[in-house]
Amino acid sequence: MRYLSEYRDPDLARRLVDRIRDTATRRWTLMEVCGGQTHTIVKQGIDEVLSEAVEMIHGPGCPVCVTPLEQIDRALHLASRPDVIFTSFGDMLRVPGSECDLLQVKARGGEVRIVYSPLDAVEIARAHPDREVVFFAVGFETTAPANAMAVWRARQLGLDNFSVLVSHVTVPPAMVAILEDPSCRVQGFLAAGHVCTIMGWTEYEPLADRYGVPIVVTGFEPLDILEGMWMAVQQLEEGRHEVENQYVRSVRREGNRPAQDLVARVFRAVDRGWRGIGTIPASGLGLREEFAAFDAELKFDLGHVRAEEPVACRAGDVLRGQIKPFECSAFGTECTPERPLGAPMVSAEGACAAYFNFGRLRQPVGGAV
Amino acid sequence: MIVPSTLQGPSCAVPHVERQRVQLGHGSGGKLSAALLREHFLPRFGNRYLHELGDGAVLPLGGDEVVLSTDTFVVNPLEFPGGNIGHLAVHGTVNDLAMMGAEPKYLSVGFVLEEGLELDVLATILDSMIEAARACDVEIVTGDTKVVERGKADGLYVNTTGLGHAPGGFRPGPRRARPGDAVLVSGPIARHGMAIMAAREGLAFDADIESDTCSLLPLVAALRKRVGDGVRCLRDATRGGVASALNEIASASDVGILLETSPPVPGPVEAACEMLGLDPLYVANEGVMVAFVAPGVAGSALAALRAHPAGAEAVLVGHVVEEHPGIVALRTGLGGTRVVDLLPGDQLPRIC
Amino acid sequence: MCLGIPGRITEMTDDLGLAVGTVDFGGVRREVCLEYVADEVRVGDYVVVHVGFAISKVDEEEAQRTFRILREMSELDDLDWLAEVADAAEAVEVPQPGAGS
Repeated sequence: MRYLSEYRDPDLARRLVDRIRDTATRRWTLMEVCGGQTHTIVKQGIDEVLSEAVEMIHGPGCPVCVTPLEQIDRALHLASRPDVIFTSFGDMLRVPGSECDLLQVKARGGEVRIVYSPLDAVEIARAHPDREVVFFAVGFETTAPANAMAVWRARQLGLDNFSVLVSHVTVPPAMVAILEDPSCRVQGFLAAGHVCTIMGWTEYEPLADRYGVPIVVTGFEPLDILEGMWMAVQQLEEGRHEVENQYVRSVRREGNRPAQDLVARVFRAVDRGWRGIGTIPASGLGLREEFAAFDAELKFDLGHVRAEEPVACRAGDVLRGQIKPFECSAFGTECTPERPLGAPMVSAEGACAAYFNFGRLRQPVGGAV
Repeated sequence: MIVPSTLQGPSCAVPHVERQRVQLGHGSGGKLSAALLREHFLPRFGNRYLHELGDGAVLPLGGDEVVLSTDTFVVNPLEFPGGNIGHLAVHGTVNDLAMMGAEPKYLSVGFVLEEGLELDVLATILDSMIEAARACDVEIVTGDTKVVERGKADGLYVNTTGLGHAPGGFRPGPRRARPGDAVLVSGPIARHGMAIMAAREGLAFDADIESDTCSLLPLVAALRKRVGDGVRCLRDATRGGVASALNEIASASDVGILLETSPPVPGPVEAACEMLGLDPLYVANEGVMVAFVAPGVAGSALAALRAHPAGAEAVLVGHVVEEHPGIVALRTGLGGTRVVDLLPGDQLPRIC
Repeated sequence: MCLGIPGRITEMTDDLGLAVGTVDFGGVRREVCLEYVADEVRVGDYVVVHVGFAISKVDEEEAQRTFRILREMSELDDLDWLAEVADAAEAVEVPQPGAGS
């Protein structure tokens, strides 16, 4: 596949690995923000082959993993209603709520449908005027323009049976929360390439400055990750802390303006809870009042939903980069992909699932370090 | 504000794991399927034949040995690029018998038809079945049909049960893999699953992908002729993909498997997998098998497969190892290792 | 996040005011909303697609950058390697055939 496969060349990858090893005079600690990047790193064994030069801490860049428990429970409630067709991206279906997950609601007769694009959900609403269609609008800034367009389009088409359950989060506030944490060990960041395709990187310049950390906007293929890591290590070796762009084939400094504009029209910044981390002010997106008719939280009675997290789950510590998944005593024992305690074990790109599915040969399970 | 007339929230009695009902994941060929088998079927039905957990059962009958296998086919849509449920129903059971080293002779067929199914569609499926049966040299000798109400059966469900003859001396079986054995994959993977997905509402995309449904008999015959008892295990990689088939054998034989090469994935299939975030190793096939052969005959086995059009792209993907018994691992291009585990249920398309 | 893969625009059209098109991902084609890149793309261009939306046009010139850097790297590596070989050859006394014992 053009513009994809060539970034997986193993010979070039090995060259970059060698180059990183040669450049590093000591071990550096980097955080990759995005779950898609975590997936590539663990699946390819990048952290394994570079472990003497770089420690990778996996950040909270998994919107599925950080969706607050209350939102999952609200989704489950809506999906259980006989008058609702509940539509969602595939990743959300196995995320555990307080008592079960969307797949189990489906088993019990709830109509739950996977869609690829939010516009597909709008189509379903158009095709079924007698049913209420709710779309689970999760994601980072990358997905916000798509979700915004779905709402915009529903309004344009005059649909009164379409609404969205919003659980959008934004990256820079989360990075600040991580950097402000006194136990933060992160010395440099690989910023999420597709988030920056939308937003550009101007928001990261003050962060690099204030906290003295290099931030490299990085793509998702092995060569992208390795090149991004190399650029970050070079900065650290040279004592620089700037924002650089590795993912030049897709990201420009100003980002995608039309996308930013529609997001700003449809959404506004709100405080948002991050599952396992807590509430981060102004870190989320909510629908503007003008679009209240499309807000599932206003349209349906969801006030009674309460949320309860299992005690053993240390998702928060994993998502903040404090521990590695295998350092959690439940990892691989009580908590496995088929019986997950928390979202990072369920979601395909959650750090715990990535380690369990790909990395188990390297690390013991059950809390041994 | 819409207030529901009956306030029924989620009321799962047991946290997190739905212990009371069957889920779709139980049919995926992954861990849930294995658990269902282990916890419900084996304790009740288990006997020395069933416990072998082969694709079929080798049974003594009147001084001879026969092989019996059954499979039920549930697919939506009924017709898809490359075939229909009728092709799957014949090839699926023929292939299960072939994986046991048997020569299939007879099939029985059981149908559950949905009220409202168009008779033209039924005719197409039946025509495909008889055509496939003739090509595989099997006879459909008995059958049954039931009809259920509109809304059940997705149009049509079909079960086929096959009976075959097991020639002596050729008994591949899931427990026979040994360290050092070579692991082969007979051809390009993930075609069937992605052909089906392309036709599904909500994920619809247009693709140059056709199901690979076919009989594996010719490939098995070629292996048997060239390598004979050097073939340790054969398994057709259906639901759950190549990854699941390899895991089943690793588990049954209590050995580790280390993969060094990926099986071939056709361009459009790869593109479709990328689009949905799916790993081709876990996507269903209907015309691919994994073969474990003794180390000395790997070259001959590959040559035998490649001489046949359906095996032209056969590859050696790895070896059986002593380390990490029960676990399938893959060496990445960078020299790292990753585990290729059974998934809990079906792979889900992802956005992240 | 997020899964975004590159594909080539094969068709551009309008669906009730929304700019849409068909994108080919190497044998797989899907309808994609082009509203966010409409001003800068035409048929034949490559775009990165996330959940059915084109979020950027692939900058084909910049796409080569990684490979340019790696090529330069390997040229330097080759020069280094040659230098190392030269140094090593000087340091070793190579016995001449036919020399006395």
